[in-house]
Amino acid sequence: MSALYLYGVTRPRELPPRLAERGLFLVEHDRRAAIVSDLEEAPVRASRRNLLAHADAVEELHEGGVVLPARFGVVLDDQEAAREFLALPDVEHLLERHRDTSELTLKGTYEESILAEVSRPLAPLQAAYRRAPSLEAGIALGEAVAQALADRRARDCETVLTRLAPLAQDVVVSEPFGEYAALDLALLVRRDAVEALNTALDEVVAELSPPLHLRLVGPLPPYSFVSLELQAAA
Amino acid sequence: MSVMQRESSAGYLTRAPRSSGLADVLEILLDRGLVIDAFVRVSLVGIELLTIDLRVVVASVDTYLRFAEAVNRLDLQQTSDAKGLPDMFGDAEEEGAERKTKGAVEGGMDAIKEKIGLGGRKKDDEDDDDDR
Repeated sequence: MSALYLYGVTRPRELPPRLAERGLFLVEHDRRAAIVSDLEEAPVRASRRNLLAHADAVEELHEGGVVLPARFGVVLDDQEAAREFLALPDVEHLLERHRDTSELTLKGTYEESILAEVSRPLAPLQAAYRRAPSLEAGIALGEAVAQALADRRARDCETVLTRLAPLAQDVVVSEPFGEYAALDLALLVRRDAVEALNTALDEVVAELSPPLHLRLVGPLPPYSFVSLELQAAA
Repeated sequence: MSVMQRESSAGYLTRAPRSSGLADVLEILLDRGLVIDAFVRVSLVGIELLTIDLRVVVASVDTYLRFAEAVNRLDLQQTSDAKGLPDMFGDAEEEGAERKTKGAVEGGMDAIKEKIGLGGRKKDDEDDDDDR
């Protein structure tokens, strides 16, 4: 089977030896190149190891130039299919658009103590629950706490966005996942604006700080900004 | 994974130059990135359980009850913190019991994180083979 696993798209260049040794190579067409490796066996297993290998490859290459990262698990039939795909005008457009961009992801998580903070106005429900810790009282209190937490989350997200969004070309705001999750942002910035964004983030952190923990990852290839699902040319 | 990855942390902010764990890459690689209909096929296994479980832990009666319990416990904690020095030694036993409760709740959260594969699980997939 001669199928190719697709990591992403880049401009023709030499691959770092570390990636070439792992079996990655480029299939080129014009000024565009698909980053691929031979695939012995499909379907691809979404194992921790494979996911991290995919991320490692596109992130390493992003350090040296534009990369449009593919979604995990994309398989091309053969080199001919790779070249046909590279010939799509949208591929060129995206490469141009992301010539000098990076993605930064920002995730926030609250400490448990956030519950004490947001539940301060809920003293009556709390007292009722303590007096008679029934299922109903527990649900009433918990639901009110969940709502207060959602309000707080929206407010903090707004604070962060107000400061950071002006520095970004584009932002994807996702519903944060998890009971104590606070926010989940992907920011598209020019490579030369990464520093400015970092500085702004430091200021935001000083304002928000406890009990909100933030994690900034990047500069990454623009994972969240290449997702137009390209259709085959008729 | 790159050996050059360095994480830095200042107060409540952690920075990482690259994705460094499942929690970082999971949503990004499965939900985002380039997809090209008709030229390629998305071909993978092992996702179904992950994506379904990801949606499981949303607001539910279970969550509400956990929140209620936590608020109650945090409140008790604060009240006892405010007591001041003289009582602290006499409270040793009570505090021990409280710690036990906390441990149980956190254990529950860990189990959930483990189930959905988030939360920095260190262990590699046991049957991991070199797929490509």
